[in-house]
Amino acid sequence: MRVTQSVEQFMNDPIAFFGESLTQMHSIPRDELEELQRQAMGIRFKEHRESIEILRKLTDRLTITELNEFDDVVPLLFSHTAFKSYPAALIDNKRFDLMTQWLNKVTSHDLSHVDTEGINSIDEWIDRLDETTPLEVITSSGTTGTLSIIPKDKDSATQGMILWRMCLFQTFGKEPTPEELNPVVEVIWPNFASGKLGHLRIASMLKKSFTGGDESKFHPLYTDAIDTDLMFLASKMRAAASRGELDRLVIDPALTARKDEFIAMQLRQPEELAAFFERLTTELRGRRVFMIGTYNLMYDIAKAGLDRGIKDVFAKDSAILTGGGAKGFVLPDNYMDVIREFLGVDKIQEGYGFSEQNAFHWACDEGRYHVQPWVIPFVLHPDTSEPLPRKGVQVGRAAVYDVLNKSHWGGVISGDEVTIDWDLECPCGRTSVAFEHEIMRYSEKQGVDDDRITCAATQEVHNEAVNFMKEFES
Amino acid sequence: MSAYTVPLFLRGEVITDDLVSFGTRSGGSEFEAPDMTKYVDRLPLRSPMEMADLYDVGFDEILDVLQALGDALVFDTNPHLQEAYEAALFANPLPADMLKNSYQILQPLFSRDAVRELADTQVGLDHLNGWVPQKMSDGRELRVRAFGSRVLHIPAGNGGLVSAVTILRSVITRCDTIIKAPSNDPLTAVAIARTLADVAPDHPITKHLVVAYWKGGDVAVEEALYRPEHIEKIVAWGGLASVKHVTRYIQPGLEMIALDPKRSATIIGAEAFSDETTMREVASRAAVDIGVANQEGCANARVIYVMSGTDPAGIDNANRLGELIYEELVKLPAFISTPPLYPNRELLEHVESSRMTDDWYRVIGGEQKEGAVIVSQFDSAVDYSAMLSGRVANIVPVDSIDKVTEAVNAYTQTIGIYPESLKRELRDRLPLFGAQRLTSLGYACNVAIAMPQDAIEPIRRMCKWIVEEECDPDVVIPLWRLGEVAHESAVQLAQV
Repeated sequence: MRVTQSVEQFMNDPIAFFGESLTQMHSIPRDELEELQRQAMGIRFKEHRESIEILRKLTDRLTITELNEFDDVVPLLFSHTAFKSYPAALIDNKRFDLMTQWLNKVTSHDLSHVDTEGINSIDEWIDRLDETTPLEVITSSGTTGTLSIIPKDKDSATQGMILWRMCLFQTFGKEPTPEELNPVVEVIWPNFASGKLGHLRIASMLKKSFTGGDESKFHPLYTDAIDTDLMFLASKMRAAASRGELDRLVIDPALTARKDEFIAMQLRQPEELAAFFERLTTELRGRRVFMIGTYNLMYDIAKAGLDRGIKDVFAKDSAILTGGGAKGFVLPDNYMDVIREFLGVDKIQEGYGFSEQNAFHWACDEGRYHVQPWVIPFVLHPDTSEPLPRKGVQVGRAAVYDVLNKSHWGGVISGDEVTIDWDLECPCGRTSVAFEHEIMRYSEKQGVDDDRITCAATQEVHNEAVNFMKEFES
Repeated sequence: MSAYTVPLFLRGEVITDDLVSFGTRSGGSEFEAPDMTKYVDRLPLRSPMEMADLYDVGFDEILDVLQALGDALVFDTNPHLQEAYEAALFANPLPADMLKNSYQILQPLFSRDAVRELADTQVGLDHLNGWVPQKMSDGRELRVRAFGSRVLHIPAGNGGLVSAVTILRSVITRCDTIIKAPSNDPLTAVAIARTLADVAPDHPITKHLVVAYWKGGDVAVEEALYRPEHIEKIVAWGGLASVKHVTRYIQPGLEMIALDPKRSATIIGAEAFSDETTMREVASRAAVDIGVANQEGCANARVIYVMSGTDPAGIDNANRLGELIYEELVKLPAFISTPPLYPNRELLEHVESSRMTDDWYRVIGGEQKEGAVIVSQFDSAVDYSAMLSGRVANIVPVDSIDKVTEAVNAYTQTIGIYPESLKRELRDRLPLFGAQRLTSLGYACNVAIAMPQDAIEPIRRMCKWIVEEECDPDVVIPLWRLGEVAHESAVQLAQV
């Protein structure tokens, strides 16, 4: 039946293409899928070559005019640096007109009409983009003194949330029930309530689409938003420290003026943490929930609960999602058991993704992260970035080309070492290619610091910046 | 299978027992060295009194021994150096020609004239070899002598020079010396020590030299050794980690002489653009400052401030200079510079992204990972300037001399400057921001040994400056007489 459906539907609306069914999504025969992927890649490339200036320039330089085979895209994969290639001085000097010009070359959407008059901060700029363009950019902070600014759009965010819902609430091998298609749960969000960081953007989507529209079912740990300009300051601080120039760091007076607000927010945190814990273990006890958090965060909460004699907190059919690196944290071997005992749920799901691409790859019961069908995975040589053969077991640097990515170029290289067994037929029954469970950042493997502040460290970094402002003033 | 063994050189004795394995920085290959936890008790002198024999050695004899050592440090005939070179090929990111060259420059360092100049200008022959008298204004006679101390060295591993300089400095100051060999150049210090033992067996100089390898930060070794009763000073070169390992042991009686990790910069005046010939010369000078030893050193040029101006003509000039520098950079001979063996991937990702951001940056070269010149099209350095390495430099056009002080901060070592007049204009100002050495463009990595380093005088600091005073009570009014005077006054007061 699918054969008659168009490549266009596959690459633009995979949800409809697969009948909003997780089972169908991961049951399509490999060769049939690969043909769809190849065609979709060629079409998307042609579109993006027209609409994304930096891609066009790269293809002109490399004289690449079309993509036919998967490996053809490899020279065109971007690294994370493509999304922070603007000079940080533009933000310091509040040249959001020039920032918009830069972003306009990175995204397929036309931003030439955006008026940046009167914009005084990164948050205001992103809000303006939210209001006047299809974009919903996300940021992630690094240590080179810049922020990655990744031009996601609203459509992909909406689509992404439906895909999350499918993967979280459906069971592979069974067609979805109406209830699974529209679940209503309490959303436990152990994080800041909002912000422009990639993982915080999700919050506003969850608030709407997992609660049946009832926003009182959204339970954030902290009620405040993460301030992007403060995160930028934190990033600049780290860069200045590494250059021995902390004395030259200038804090934007607009940010300094809000110092008291940030300090008050910092002071509220212990209280909010206590209240959050209380709500979890009383009001929300036994309820069906969706909860998301990194391994270390989940573990900390679980450990604190068990220490108080609290366990089996939520309904067994709750949806729990965890993942993310455990960078900087040492977890005991039995950390998943601790988390499971506290939560008391049947199933804890894990996923793998990175912010330069949209898709999230969910782990099956075997622990393998099955690649979403509209994403073409690659295993590259870790140093040369040459593609390794698409057969047998390959270990190397993960890269993906995401054909569903419309607002920016979908080809990205990660900093992660992954393993793919290309010939494997996973016992879970999914036909899709999968990353093996063990994934490690190369920087972590080599024992060097890398230019990434993980979502796990958001609060710590935010606090670092507030503390710096306090010292700076006194 | 280990690629090679790093023996313990223990005061003339070469020990290769109790071997354990270590990895090298470039990964893969391993080497073996004696388990230092078994030998750590034998590394330091048993008693400070054992240093007395060094004072029976006259300076002429020191010069003779060092001259003989230098004469024996000929790469083509010295098997120890050849072995050290073979090991460095495994352990060091530098290409073969460059490593070989770093051994070929050793011999002249040990010549009588070079050693005498070093000793005389950096400490003073009089102070090294005897008590230097001085009459003070209060009448006392002062005599000062520079004594050697018990020093532990943690040298950097970029090339053979650092190990050679370490040994030279130790010998002329009559120090008792323990060298912790670096993992990326594990055998050079041992090779020099073994050559010393060949030319001067059983000589006190040989008996006051230990070269050992253990993994930096190994507390089993360092806690036992880094104590005031064993060593008085630690000279720590290189990386933040190695310096940080050491700081925890610093206490009264054990001081650290830190030759910190540093970065360097370059400032080029508008005169560079006066004509094509000058521009070419400036370009070849700058290329050398970038390229030497593949920009692995702290003295290499990285960010190059150019006073071209930032108007279109100025930017054109900066771009043109960038092209010329790139041309000269890739032309450098292999013993000076080559494409890096292990380019920094993260850096090259940033460079490629700058290439795509051509409103702000112009990237020249770099497509074969051979090195690149990034010309900023406005007056700021790239945000990843701290990563620049492997022959990647950033040219920053600026309008005024005030902007070039941005090149200098607390981590700055060398500033290469063109022309000389600009250097003189800047020399009273740049040190305030942190610059430690101002040199002619093209000489950043062409470092003389007989001068201060990192804004300190390390050889003076390796010495203990001991004073002997002679006070004649009839000349220098003694405190006890002051006491008598005061007492007499008090008695007189009481009688009134």
